[in-house]
Formats: sequence, structure tokens, C-alpha cells
Amino acid sequence: MDFVPHDNKTITEMLSVIGVSNLEELFHDIPKDLIKEKLDIPQGLSEPDLLHRMEEISKKNRIYSNSFLGAGCYYHYIPSLVNFVISRSEFSTSYTPYQAEASQGYLQAIYEYQTIISRLTQMDVANASMYDGSTALAEAAIMATLITNKRSIILLEGIHPEYVEVVKTYCWGQNINTKITQENNLLDQLNEDVAAVLFQSPNFFGDIEDIPRLIKIIKERLPRCLIIQVMTDPTCLGVLKPPGSMDIDIFVTEGQSFGINPSFGGPGLGIFTAKQKYLRKIPGRLIGKTREINGSQEGFILTLQAREQHIRREKASSNICTNQALCSLAALTYLLAMGKTGLREIATQNLQKAHFLKKEIAKVPGYKILNQKPTYNEFLIECPNIDSFISECRKHDLLPPLRMSKYYPEMQNVALVCVTEVNSRKSINSLIQSAQLASDNSVEGRSK
Amino acid sequence: MSYEFPSELMYTTTHEWVRIENSFATVGLTDYAQHQLGDVVFVELPDIGMVLEKESNAGEIESVKAVGDLIMPLSGEVMEINEQLDGSPELVNSSPYDGGWMMKIKISHPNEIDELISVEKYKELVKSEEQ
Repeated sequence: MDFVPHDNKTITEMLSVIGVSNLEELFHDIPKDLIKEKLDIPQGLSEPDLLHRMEEISKKNRIYSNSFLGAGCYYHYIPSLVNFVISRSEFSTSYTPYQAEASQGYLQAIYEYQTIISRLTQMDVANASMYDGSTALAEAAIMATLITNKRSIILLEGIHPEYVEVVKTYCWGQNINTKITQENNLLDQLNEDVAAVLFQSPNFFGDIEDIPRLIKIIKERLPRCLIIQVMTDPTCLGVLKPPGSMDIDIFVTEGQSFGINPSFGGPGLGIFTAKQKYLRKIPGRLIGKTREINGSQEGFILTLQAREQHIRREKASSNICTNQALCSLAALTYLLAMGKTGLREIATQNLQKAHFLKKEIAKVPGYKILNQKPTYNEFLIECPNIDSFISECRKHDLLPPLRMSKYYPEMQNVALVCVTEVNSRKSINSLIQSAQLASDNSVEGRSK
Repeated sequence: MSYEFPSELMYTTTHEWVRIENSFATVGLTDYAQHQLGDVVFVELPDIGMVLEKESNAGEIESVKAVGDLIMPLSGEVMEINEQLDGSPELVNSSPYDGGWMMKIKISHPNEIDELISVEKYKELVKSEEQ
């Protein structure tokens, strides 16, 4: 459906129907002192000047040839098919599909996204998506409190620190208690007021948790406690057991790894799934398939809308009234392009390449792998001189791994390394070389 | 608009009907309430054994366009709920006083019965809400 703007004649006509003389009158409720007469923005630019200006700004970016940075945002290969599909103007300029008869294409796309996510995760229901992994996790926590009528949330250490902040903010707004705990302290925290335990696997440190064991421990103490899992790189589902096979009540993940460019850290995709029995408490949009009343044709619609805030208002699970439609379409296209074998291949390469680097770097004097549990495509290394290491990485045109001290001040010399299928053997060897040079530097430094 | 309001029942200002039988009360939504809600698609009822105060939230009735609360007309313990509503929520619309009954409670404070309103008062309430 094309967008047709109003012309002056139509505007005048509409104004006269409602008895208003001009457009400014519609805003007369806004206090005069709040209306800005002049805005401090520069003059408009012509198209060539604008392009030139954007180019100048973009030159400030340092584009590395390879990256070893993960921590919630990942470089994976994006097939050109994804860009082709999401660039179609019907998708990229489309508005929200409240008018079903005019949005069948989009509704079908979202329905297929929900289906593919449900099949991949083996969870009963997937919604049309949330903003990103962090808010999806926060919404899952809120949903758990509504289901159980309890007001406390336990967060297991290992959840992305920024996700923890988002969950705490959402819970603070709703007077829900949050408590971060280590695994050895978990049982002590499981009291009658706990609605759910949130954990990340593979976690921020790269560890893959023993999920069935964790669930068993929790359920033995508190049988009706909800189990909520989050992850940040769902390509791991190509090799790891799906959450639906492990009695996870709500499973959420950041979906950026499925065909969405890292960009500057966003936009993301909040993949949100849950068990069938919680269907009516799931936040966000749900697309359903139905049939015409007066015919036999199938069609797609927004369904179970009475969950949502525009109907249920303050009693709704969430105030969200949107989804990341274009990003979910990118994810759908990515997963269709990869297929089951493709995703498995990608996950295997992530696992194997990361494992190779892990082995090789451990051989470099002074470097130690800190993970005790199995890992997927991220792991922690302790460096003899992290400043030197980061500097050598840059010299070798490698986007350096994360300094853990950014989030954990006590981890001064620890780096979080990420290896994906796009890291070539050459780049991995480059990183090993950087580590060696940094190690030699620190040896030299000591002997001086 | 003409609604059906059986005269042997008691009513609440929140549009529930109550059938008192000794120390038990059967509760549902009135014909007016079901009409306002539209096609009911889901009914959430309390668990059996739950003890709830008068005027507290016992459950929810979801229609295609709205969600209505089921308010406890009297304090008591939930003894029975209408399992039929799980598969056939439309009974609330087609048979609000019979097949669409929602729950049976054991009355804990019989003096609260005096606070329920009569069918005449309820008819007046509906009339004023419609204006």
C-alpha cells in the first residue's frame, strides 16, 4: 500500500470539519514557554554535499580486517540473500501490521519467523520478537512474577553485565527484588518469594553450563520456580541441546547473530519463547494463522491481542506494542538460507576454530585459559601484559578481544576472546603471534 | 436493549450474579456483562481451594476486544470451577446463568449476603450505565 500524503486542500477540508482554523491551533495545549522558536541545527545540505559529509564522518571509523571481539555482539557471515530480501521496500518501509488485510506479506513473514524459532529452540511458542536480548530477558523476569505471583528474581552470575543492568532497571520500576548470586550460593537464595532463576548459557565468560544439573538443583528446592535461560549467540544451537528439550520455562536470546550486522552495537533482535502453558502471559505480538469467515482462504493476523497493553492496559505483562520486524525478517532469511545443515556447519566451525585458538594460545608462555567448563566460541585468557597484547592486536589489524576489567575491575589482565566462522586460519595465527610478541615484550620489560 | 436478569438471583455492582444455596454460592457474569464484553475467548478461574476476600480479583474473562475481572461477590473458599469453560468459553455468552456458571464458593461470612443487590436495583444500575 502506497503512502499518500495530504495536500493543502485536503488539510483545509479536514480542519473545517472539526471546526479548527489552522494546524497550529491543534497544538494550543502546549505551554508557550515550551515551544522552541529556533533549533540549533545547521542548514540543510545538498545531496552531494551530504554524501561527502557522511563519508568524512565514516572515515573516522577504524575498520579492522578481522575481529576477536564478542561479548554480546558477533561477526558472522551474512549471506547476500538477507540484504536482498530486507531491502525490498515493501518490507523496509512497511508500517506495523494492524490492518491485516493490507499486511498479509509481512504477517506471513513474522508467522514463519515464529515457526522457525520455535522449531530451532524446540520451545512451544515464539512471539514476534522484542527489542533485543537484554529487554527480552527483563520481560521474561516480569512475566515470571505475573505467572507465579512472587516478587523476587534470582540472577545467576555469568549473565552479560549490561543485561543484568537492564533486568534490574525493569524490576526496579515494578518493585521486584533482584539478587545476583554465584552457583555455590544459589540454594540459599531460593526462598518462597522467588519467581524465577535467570541464567545465561553459554555465559558471558564463555562457559556452557550443565543445564539439566542446574535445573534439578533448583526444582528440588523450589518445584514451582520458573527457569529462564538467556544466551547472546544463538548460532550455538547448531551444536548444543535446544532449550525446549530441557524443561526451560522461558528461553530468550539476542538474535543479532542471525543475519544482522553488528553495526555500532544495534539494532538487535529479542528472540522470546516460552512453554505453551504460559501463552496468555507472553508479552509482545503474536501472529496467528486463520481462515476467512466467508470463504476458505487462509490468512494471517495479530492474535491473542487481549494480552497486550492496548487492551489490558496496566494489567498487561508489558507495555511493548511493537516488534523488531525487519530484524526478525533478516533472521528468518538467514536461517532459511543456512538451513539445518548450514547452521550445524557454522556452529561446528565456531566451536572448532575457538578450540584451536584456545589450545594454541595456552602454549604461549604466560597465557592461561581460565575456563573450567566447556566453551563454544568465547573464552577467557589471562595475559602476562594485557596492554601489550591489545596493542599488538591492533598492529596486526585485528579488532582486539574485550578487556574484562571493563566490567570486572578485579580481572585486570583478563581478555574475553571470541572466534567465529569468519576468522580465517591466517587471522587466528596473527592473534597467536600478537600474543607471543606481547609475551616477549613483557619479558623484555621485566629484564630491563 | 433487553437483557435477562433472573429474579431469584442476587447481583453485584461489578456485574456478577450469585445463586445462594445454604452455605454455598454459585457465581457467574450477568447477561449485561457478557454483552458488553463481546465474544468470550478465554476464562481464567481461581484454583480450587483458594480462599479469597469479597471484592478481590478471582479471575479474568477475556474477549476479542477486552479483558474483564471476575470479582468475588462474597468472601469464601473456591470449591468448584466450571471446567467446561476451558474448551467452550462461548458458554459465557450463550448461557450466562446456566452453562456459563464460573465457580462455586463456600461462604465464609454470611452477613456479607446483605450487601448484594436485588434484581430491581441491578436493573436500575444497568439502565443508568447504558445512558
